[in-house]
Amino acid sequence: MKKRSSLVAWLFIIVGTSYFLLPLIATFLFSLRAKKDTLGFTAYQRVFADSSFYETFLFSALMALLTIIASLLLLVPTVYWAYLRHPRLHRLIELVSLMPFVIPPIVLVFGLIKSYSRPPVILVQSRGLLIAGYMVLTLPYMYRAIDAGLRATNVKTLTEAAQSLGAGWPRIIWQVIVPNVRGALVNGAFLTFATVLGELTLAQYLAWPAFGPYLARISQNKAYEPAALTIISFALTWVIFGIVLLVNSKDQQQTQFGGTH
Amino acid sequence: MAQSKLGAFRLRAAKLAALFLVVSLMISACGSAASESTTAPTAGSGGTSSTMDALIAAAKAEGELTVIALPHNWLNYGEMIENFSKKYGIKINELNPDAGSGDEIEAIKANKDNKGPQAPDVIDVGFAFGPSSKQENLLQPYKVSTWDTIPNELKDPEGYWFGDYYGVLAFAVNKDVVKNVPQDWADLLKPEYKGQVALAGDPRVSNLAIQSVYAAALANGGSLDNVQPGLDFFSKLNQAGNFVPVIAKQGTLAQGETPIMITWDYLAISARDELGGNPEIEVVVPKSGVLGGVYVQAISAYAPHPNAAKLWMEYLYSDEGQLTWLKGGGHPVRYNDLVARNVIPAEIAEKLPPAELYANAVFPTLAQLEAAKKVIVDGWDTTVNVDVKE
Amino acid sequence: MAEQASERGRGAQWQHLDLRRINWSWLGTVPFFLFACAFLVLPSASLVIGSFQDNAGNFTLQNITDLGQPSIVNAYLLSVQVSGVTALLGTLVGGLLAWAMVLGRLPRFVRAFLIPFSGVASNFAGVPLAFAFIATLGRVGFVTVLLKNLGFDLYDKGFNLYSFWGLSATYLYFQIPLVVLILTPAFEALRPQWREAAESLGASGGYYWRSVALPILTPALLSTVVLLFGNAFGAYATAYALTGGSLNIVPIMIGAQIQGDILHNPNLGYALAFGMMVIMTLVLALYSWLQRRSARWLQ
Repeated sequence: MKKRSSLVAWLFIIVGTSYFLLPLIATFLFSLRAKKDTLGFTAYQRVFADSSFYETFLFSALMALLTIIASLLLLVPTVYWAYLRHPRLHRLIELVSLMPFVIPPIVLVFGLIKSYSRPPVILVQSRGLLIAGYMVLTLPYMYRAIDAGLRATNVKTLTEAAQSLGAGWPRIIWQVIVPNVRGALVNGAFLTFATVLGELTLAQYLAWPAFGPYLARISQNKAYEPAALTIISFALTWVIFGIVLLVNSKDQQQTQFGGTH
Repeated sequence: MAQSKLGAFRLRAAKLAALFLVVSLMISACGSAASESTTAPTAGSGGTSSTMDALIAAAKAEGELTVIALPHNWLNYGEMIENFSKKYGIKINELNPDAGSGDEIEAIKANKDNKGPQAPDVIDVGFAFGPSSKQENLLQPYKVSTWDTIPNELKDPEGYWFGDYYGVLAFAVNKDVVKNVPQDWADLLKPEYKGQVALAGDPRVSNLAIQSVYAAALANGGSLDNVQPGLDFFSKLNQAGNFVPVIAKQGTLAQGETPIMITWDYLAISARDELGGNPEIEVVVPKSGVLGGVYVQAISAYAPHPNAAKLWMEYLYSDEGQLTWLKGGGHPVRYNDLVARNVIPAEIAEKLPPAELYANAVFPTLAQLEAAKKVIVDGWDTTVNVDVKE
Repeated sequence: MAEQASERGRGAQWQHLDLRRINWSWLGTVPFFLFACAFLVLPSASLVIGSFQDNAGNFTLQNITDLGQPSIVNAYLLSVQVSGVTALLGTLVGGLLAWAMVLGRLPRFVRAFLIPFSGVASNFAGVPLAFAFIATLGRVGFVTVLLKNLGFDLYDKGFNLYSFWGLSATYLYFQIPLVVLILTPAFEALRPQWREAAESLGASGGYYWRSVALPILTPALLSTVVLLFGNAFGAYATAYALTGGSLNIVPIMIGAQIQGDILHNPNLGYALAFGMMVIMTLVLALYSWLQRRSARWLQ
């Protein structure tokens, strides 16, 4: 018995979508005005002809990927264990995860430079410091996403079941927990990717050729190209996410863990 | 039992937290102690051609220069950077072009121990930041070979900082939106400009915005020592509904939301040229209230590439460098010297607004600037009182 | 708590295993705390220390007392207001959107469209976002002009993009997608079987929501509100680009002290940020208390 779609749901979606699309439409219309008195894609041509666009986009995309992997490796076990075993530690981790919001990125980057530009630990020239900085900035979102995913899953039962079957911790996390919170992890990955791609302060002061500073430079010097760039990066990121989501949902159908959905 | 477990846990957590805090404090304390030992270097000076050759060789050996806060369309820095790089084969690392003067100072401080490309070698900051950075021991002195042609009131006698260019405040007007172009400050109050006048910065953060208020003061009965009429002017502008609180950029100027942008003449000129008629921009230097703003150059005391930095200075203050700035629409500090020696090509001279308008330009002293800053920053929120509730 | 009681119950049999388990999980969180120490606490230590120093490095409480100035107090109030309003509104609207997407029985493509979009939109902020809203609802914005041609002048009616509500509407652009992403798994966790079971027992839709769904969703909703609050609290670039000079929020003040051309009192900037930390901790304390209250209510 197939149920009809809820009319109210459609209403929300339509109103919501209009709110989100209008500013994009306005930006798009403006970006078409690069050539006097005509509407055309001149601004876009200029952007695509700029090699810095590709270089910086790829660099930031790569950094984003590394940040996602590092964050997941660090956070998933941590949040899982805290959630399962140590509720009070869980609170502490939650507080720590919210701290990046109140540390202005400029203070963070100068603090990182000051701390890691002299012996014994000189990290200031390495990409590792940039990635660590990104991990700090995306900590609130990644943590929340993983936390929400865990709450939505019956973690305790799954863990006990797996343990009674003799599984060790790595196995439990990798083969039992992760497949069940996959959706949440993908969302967290999206948030991280988008944040790293647009991030400005860290990349600027650590002197890396990232996309954020590139976008800022263009916004400074030009009028129509920034609008075109906004639309392009929006569309590109959207497509990437769409592909990941499709791949993920296909995968998920194949690895359904019996009984949980 | 649960209680004692809880208590034990809390104690452990507290101890750990305290340990972490103490360790962090110790490390950062050690850090700041280590960086205090610096001796003030004595001024080197560029001079004879043999020293120039030695300087060029040393700079090339360093191979790199790190600059900060130099947008490419700010006084044609784009061309300056490219030409310098090509001429000497030195790679230029460009840090945050959007940085404010405070940013540049903080960047020097943060990178004291860092010899990498994150540490700025040279800075270009607002007039007031020259003396204050010198006091904080952040600069090293250097007198370029053309030192004597820099006006005395625009440089530090010991060579720690030196004026590089100046401009006056002007209006950049989008002629597609504004049919009747305003010619003076008083015109801005007319009802036909409702919701059209904007500053290019926040008066609490940006030097440019503060100077805009200062200039308005001069046009409205104030003087270099009395900046209150400037605040009153903007208050009137806001109450009339003519003031748009958006920070104007080239994008908003072209789009039409801020069709009258108060900014430096050189920025207005570069916006006009960049947009190339799409839309038509007119650059208006107001008839009254012409305030000159000076920026200064300096070399960081911790510069990882001191010779490249000195060579950069030599280039900026050479005729070639000064003319590059002139092309960008600004007045380089050696302007009068260039005029006197008749080295300015005609095409470049044409691009600037007529010289008579600059005859009225006044330049505040450092003391006047500091006093005006204080009045404007303190008074902006209360006097202008831009209403943001609902 | 219940879990500890059951552990004690099994204690006799599993005592040796129990100890091993506790040791393991303790170690499991150490990497995180090491990371936090090295890359979060250490850089911010200079922030905390700097709040209590003056320009020359001497200890002083001047910065803290300076925080009592009316302009600064107003800035904190405004920051908290904007953050609070967008956090609550964002959670509400985003929650409804997540509900619609998961439980509204909509075709699959809606989800494939909205989730990636939310991912991108959640980080669409700063100058591009401000410009997009200016281009839409500014005085010569796309929608404003459209409505004017239809005879309806927005600005004459008193609307102003450069106001508290205008800024909030702009903030919601990245707040709402964040909620959609975080709450979608929570809505997915509501098994349709529970709804069917409730209905077969005679419960109305409203009852189901009040007594079954909402209590389950509450922890996620509360934590989302806190996340949104923090997100808006620290946001700087969007407000500056949209209303720079007229809107006094704390991050702009911090920027003015540390980065600006005019004021240059970094220690005051650090004190301002320290104040933000304190407020964030208070918000978290409130949130903890609310979580405990609602957990009790659940039982």
